[in-house]
Amino acid sequence: MTAAGISRAAVVVLLAALIAVPLVLPMFGSSFWIDIVAEILIWSLLAASVNLLLGYVGLLSFGQALYFGVGMYGAALSVIHWGVGFWGGLAVGVVAAMVMAAIAGSVAVRLTWHYFAIITVVFSLILYFAAMSAKPLTGGDDGISFSAQSVLTLGGTKFTLADQSVQYYTILLVVAFCYALFALVVRSPLGVRFMAVRENDRRAALVGINVYLTRYTAFVLAGALAGASGALFAFFGRYASASYMFYHVSGEAVVWAIVGGAGSLLGPLFGTGLLIIFREIISAVWEHYLFAVGAITVLVVMFAPRGLAGAWSDLLDVMTRGKPPANVPPSSPSAAPGLPKRAADTTSGG
Amino acid sequence: MRDGGSDAVALSVEGLTRRFGGLVAVDNVSFELPTKRLNAIIGPNGAGKTTLFNLISGEIRADAGRVRVHGQDISGLKPHQIVRRGVSRTLQIKSVFSGLTVAENVRTAVMAHEGLASPFRPAASYRAVSVRVDDLVAQVGLTPHLNTRASALSYGDIALLEIALALANEPKLLLLDEPVCGMGPQETEQAVAKIREIAESVDVVLIEHDMEVVFAVADEIIVMAQGAILARGTPAEISSSPEVQEAYLGAPEEAD
Repeated sequence: MTAAGISRAAVVVLLAALIAVPLVLPMFGSSFWIDIVAEILIWSLLAASVNLLLGYVGLLSFGQALYFGVGMYGAALSVIHWGVGFWGGLAVGVVAAMVMAAIAGSVAVRLTWHYFAIITVVFSLILYFAAMSAKPLTGGDDGISFSAQSVLTLGGTKFTLADQSVQYYTILLVVAFCYALFALVVRSPLGVRFMAVRENDRRAALVGINVYLTRYTAFVLAGALAGASGALFAFFGRYASASYMFYHVSGEAVVWAIVGGAGSLLGPLFGTGLLIIFREIISAVWEHYLFAVGAITVLVVMFAPRGLAGAWSDLLDVMTRGKPPANVPPSSPSAAPGLPKRAADTTSGG
Repeated sequence: MRDGGSDAVALSVEGLTRRFGGLVAVDNVSFELPTKRLNAIIGPNGAGKTTLFNLISGEIRADAGRVRVHGQDISGLKPHQIVRRGVSRTLQIKSVFSGLTVAENVRTAVMAHEGLASPFRPAASYRAVSVRVDDLVAQVGLTPHLNTRASALSYGDIALLEIALALANEPKLLLLDEPVCGMGPQETEQAVAKIREIAESVDVVLIEHDMEVVFAVADEIIVMAQGAILARGTPAEISSSPEVQEAYLGAPEEAD
């Protein structure tokens, strides 16, 4: 079996496992964990939003929580004031986040590197304080709440998010749809442009790519992913709060994406999963668990700079070494990723 | 010029000027290059050769002056717009997409040229693009490395890959910035042969420090010094010009 084949099989197993979650976990008497998995799925979209920018066009954003927050409020406010229900609220949340990203992005993507990172933080801080002070509309820190929404009415039977399984499968459906779209986009000619800009923006311009427009497109799409994440989280928690727009939420998403592996489609899902499960287990017994999260992040950056996804693909390379994958000739240095070389890479990159 | 009409002029530069602070890097430069010629620009370091290329390719803006390619005014356009009007260039420090394979590199350039930006259809499913990618890779002789990552290529092969990227937009004018810089003798020989071959169908302007290469390939040479054109002529005329020898090739007794 080739490395690509194993990876494809692993995705099928993952999807099957996620579908089985509400059926299997209660057998162990822990329906609490169904919600944790749902939460991981939701937050992983925020990490995916960071990943689209960092891993595919090479822009590090520390402000994706802004679009998460806008998605959250778009969903909550449209449900509360217009009664648009789950799907309407989801759509409003995503569109609102894209509009916000379209506005902020028109300025932000003119910059790169730390200037870009700083401007994304600045934008999210401005909107965070605006949302905090616009208490009548946003509820500020306390937020605003609403009731569990209906998803589907089928022959008189109402499926609502109040039912844990309905809620879980609704979230899984939306998240899986987002990842499918993500996969489609990064394999498309648009995705080819993204990676050209990530690899070498000067050369990208010199083969005729509009670098600004490419980064801008990615920024708005990343806003949509973060918006979907925020809208889902609003329906999941039945509330929206300005506190989720704070930049430490953005920072957490960056950590999830990097630990999972920026530049791989599903890496950030695993990064999010690992760190949220870690948080759920450790935070109960140790208040300062964030120290451990920091340590894990440092270790990953030092020893597996391409994250969990990178470690996984290295493992596959080792397992299938008998017949090296067609696209990496045996002479290529990347086929023999020894630890010393890794360490050298990290130091020269830093 | 020699054939008359603007069609016969590959590149026309008119009063091009660029200042960096107090330094005038390119000082009111005007020239016309005829088509079907392999032109070279030479000059000592700091003469303004690369700045001239950067002005033509739109990477820096001119303070004054106009640039026309085959009669079409490209002054003030952005680099990607200039590329789409048929002007390609390579860089002095070879510039490719290092993390991608040779095929992916060329595919990127071909898709950009075709104006493809669909967000849904798989990039690998464009048959016509794949055919052109294979052709271009074969044209520069990199077929054995089709699926090699660019970062794993030798320096000479990276230079060839960059030429393939530059050819992907079917350029009318190809600007080569020190194409053999950093190459060994054998690589140089191959690259020179390749440049000659390309120049049969595309107008080529090259900047080069290696005099042996310049005198071997160029039909006509422009000598720049201190941001201005010092001399212009055939290789024979240039090598015998005392003015050029003094400014560039060194004192006459040192010249070969």
